[in-house]
Amino acid sequence: MIKVRGLNKEFIQGQERTHVLKGVDLTVEEGEFVAVMGPSGSGKSTLLQLLGGLDIPTEGDIVINQNKLSIMSEKERTIFRRKYIGFIFQNYQLLPTLTVEENIAFPLHADGSLTKEKNQTILKLLDSVGLKDFGQKRVNLLSGGQQQRVAIARALVNSPSVLLADEPTGNLDRNRAEEILGLISRFNREKNQTIIMVTHDIFAAGFADRIILFKDGVIDQEASRKDEDYAKYLANFMA
Amino acid sequence: MSVKYGILTLLYRQKNHGYELKLELESLLGIKGKINPGQIYTTLDRLIRDQFVLAAGTDDQDRKFYEITTEGKKELEIWLLEPVPYHSAKDDFHFKWSCSRTIGFEQEQKMLDQQKAMIMKDVMDLTKLKTEILLQGDESKYLLINGSLLRLEADLNWIHQVENRNRS
Repeated sequence: MIKVRGLNKEFIQGQERTHVLKGVDLTVEEGEFVAVMGPSGSGKSTLLQLLGGLDIPTEGDIVINQNKLSIMSEKERTIFRRKYIGFIFQNYQLLPTLTVEENIAFPLHADGSLTKEKNQTILKLLDSVGLKDFGQKRVNLLSGGQQQRVAIARALVNSPSVLLADEPTGNLDRNRAEEILGLISRFNREKNQTIIMVTHDIFAAGFADRIILFKDGVIDQEASRKDEDYAKYLANFMA
Repeated sequence: MSVKYGILTLLYRQKNHGYELKLELESLLGIKGKINPGQIYTTLDRLIRDQFVLAAGTDDQDRKFYEITTEGKKELEIWLLEPVPYHSAKDDFHFKWSCSRTIGFEQEQKMLDQQKAMIMKDVMDLTKLKTEILLQGDESKYLLINGSLLRLEADLNWIHQVENRNRS
């Protein structure tokens, strides 16, 4: 479970202060898939950075699986990140000269946990993202959609309980985007991974269980899909 | 489109008689000569029966005036604040929003917010449906649902445009 309370973030550049998050409260249940939307500068990507422990808040608390981020040292946050968090970015952030398998294994090299068993995990992941025969290919030879699949496999290699995705389909056309989102929601269902996805695209946000709209650093609107409403909806649509 | 709420909108501004209501309603809807006068008078009778409208005397040409009651105003405001689900055939959010503009409705932002939340929920429901239909391999239904999703996306973008213009 993720609990965010009174989250504030200010950026100071010279004389100028920018108050990006202004007291955000948010609870995300284990296994929930939440999409965060809002215009540029509304604070949605900053929220993701703070949740991933990549930056620290000016004020407020973030608790993920009973770990309070605000009392951790930088080193502790790095260990926490490796253990609990997977990241997916819009521009994939892969190492272009390495192979697909090497990219997926990269987080394991970083914490020295690459074992034979983990090698099996990599092969399974490759299969589940539809890249079974691409393991030895260099990633810069792959299409955008394929690169994002590699990035998803890399994000999942440590079996993180939380997946943070920042515009994961921002560089892809609708069809490729749909495949990637289908993949992300499948992992959400099958592995009960908590997913927080920032997107500007309502089409992508539709895959979530809950959509949160940010405006000027605060939560402006939210909507949840409830199974009992869905059943009514289904009946209406099919009528 | 609802003749009932169109009439309540027009009477909210001022009392009026039946023929004028027909012309103004056509203007509100952007259609000319499409509303049957009988539809106006039947609706007015129903509104009087439900105590949303009163007969309020006649003008010098002996035409009957109609006036909205406090209950009628309340009924209109409740309707304005109800978000419109995607699959509703009886209402259209653009019509509702035009009514709110016509009477200078103070809670327009609340209306827009609620409609946004409704669109977000509809998008999530339709996306779930789309995923299930894709697994069943029904290509036509899948494409139809994608069409509905694109319309909802356009509706959401339109609301954002209204909000931006309201702010500036």
